Amino acid sequence: MAIQSLSQDQAPTAQSPATPAATRRRPGALARAVDTTLGRGLIQILAVAVFFASWEIAVDAGWLTEFLVGAPSGIWRVFVKSVLDGSLVHDTWLTVVEAILGFVIGTVLGSAAGLGLWYSVLVARIVEPFIVAINSVPKIALAPIVILWFGTGFISKVALAVSLTALVALIAAYQAARDADPDLQALLASMGASKNRIFRSVIVPSTLPAIIGMFRINIGFALVGAVVGEFISSQAGLGHLIYNASSLYDLNAVWVGLFVLMFVGFLLYHVIDFAERRILPWRQVDTAGSVQV
Amino acid sequence: MDALANGRDVQLALRGIRKAFPSRGGAVPVLDGLNFDIYERDFVSIIGPSGCGKTTVFNVIAGLLEPDEGTMRFRGEIVPGLSGRVGYMMQKDLLFPWRTVLQNVMLGLEMKGVDARAATETARDYLARFGLSGFENAYPKTLSGGMRQRAALIRTLIMDPDILLLDEPFSALDYQTRLYLEAVLLDAVETFHKTVVLVTHDIDEAVALSKRVVVLGNRPARVKAVHDIALNDRSPIGARSDPRFSEYFNTLCGELDIQTRARAA
Ligand SMILES: Nc1ncnc2c1ncn2[C@@H]1O[C@H](COP(=O)(O)OP(=O)(O)O)[C@@H](O)[C@H]1O
Ligand SMILES: [Mg+2]
Repeated sequence: MAIQSLSQDQAPTAQSPATPAATRRRPGALARAVDTTLGRGLIQILAVAVFFASWEIAVDAGWLTEFLVGAPSGIWRVFVKSVLDGSLVHDTWLTVVEAILGFVIGTVLGSAAGLGLWYSVLVARIVEPFIVAINSVPKIALAPIVILWFGTGFISKVALAVSLTALVALIAAYQAARDADPDLQALLASMGASKNRIFRSVIVPSTLPAIIGMFRINIGFALVGAVVGEFISSQAGLGHLIYNASSLYDLNAVWVGLFVLMFVGFLLYHVIDFAERRILPWRQVDTAGSVQV
Repeated sequence: MDALANGRDVQLALRGIRKAFPSRGGAVPVLDGLNFDIYERDFVSIIGPSGCGKTTVFNVIAGLLEPDEGTMRFRGEIVPGLSGRVGYMMQKDLLFPWRTVLQNVMLGLEMKGVDARAATETARDYLARFGLSGFENAYPKTLSGGMRQRAALIRTLIMDPDILLLDEPFSALDYQTRLYLEAVLLDAVETFHKTVVLVTHDIDEAVALSKRVVVLGNRPARVKAVHDIALNDRSPIGARSDPRFSEYFNTLCGELDIQTRARAA
């Protein structure tokens, strides 16, 4: 029949339009040899090694005062000691749990509220200036009230992380929902879809990239919330470690706290990266063939 | 409107449809009392200058916009719009980027609440029939424009709608792909006995595919003329080589030409 013969004649062979190879800048021979996972990793490790070695040398030579800047060897000693006595693991665990809990609660509440605003343009318009106003307060300034309300324990750190993340999530989700393609929504409406159906089939999936992008920002904010909460009053946690050590001029211990925080943030960021690749397979399709400029 | 009176069953009748859009300088009228009929198993093309309100007519028929005035009757019964009964194919291909080709094609069945197993099976059949087997699990952005538009057409057909509303579906495609998809469309319409309303800016396409052509005037749009097209061969290439083709083509061109001159004056 006509359709079949036609479709065979015309069956497309190439799957995707070719990328314009001419626009690709050709890297030099050295750059190409180094630009592998192993090559890049070696260079990164080398850079870190050089950094710490020069630091140590500068302290040994007396160009820098260990009292004020610490020294890699001292940082290592504090690190080993606090790992062995279990305090570092405990501090890290506590801060991570506070941050993750705050992140999850704040992000879920905020995203839900932000997406929910899609349902009513009227409500959204009414609350918009309030959201902007609240968001313009540096939320860290809320810390004293949060401590007042939630005490000095674990809960107040989580609450602070929630207060930092919830509004970011709300705004990101609301904006993404507002930007969702109206034609896709119209198409579903023409198929007789209900508002809830459109929400599930268009709004949620089309806002996911923005929401997951916001996760990256919020995981950082959640850590800020937990650490600042610990600065203000606490018995343990990385914030406690850093604050305490710096009031005792123990710079090496401060650095241990900072480096562990850096590591935790780095790790959580990559967890989100991994999740993103699993949740949004359709965004990953053609990154391999993309044009380099 | 004597061209309408040839004794066939009217499927959809539009009477006195008016629509204005609010704007800063007051309401801008777009549809100015539109009247036309669509018959059962009709193939009607709507042509008119760009911005005259063709897409707006479709949005009214699809129930996405409420007309300010006027009535629509579907098989004699007054309806507010045909939401859920039309297969609307919009100007862009509008595939859902996060859905695979198969999932995109299944969309309409999902909305109808067809069980997933059965929907998948039907979708696979349609994809095979329209030469998209092997692309079930591809994401839209890996497909060529022609394939995307074909997938969008399948998605429209699979819902088995009473009326297909096609809004410049092939306008972004190269000529070869367009001829091919026109053939796919005609074949599908014949096989599934569908009514088609096609908006196109391409007079050539309107004449080649349609049984009737509705010409709209400048905004605010009214029906300027309705032409019956009687070509023997209604295949995309066959129709274009029919001796009467150029006659129709010239008539319709003339009709749009007059409007350009009127606007320039
Ligand atoms: N939602 C809307 N709000 C305001 N104006 C609109 C809207 N949709 C269409 N219009 C206006 O109505 C006119 C007709 O639009 P449209 O139906 O898309 O024209 P066509 O499809 O014939 O090119 C245009 O001038 C357009 O700017
Ligand atoms: Mg249009």
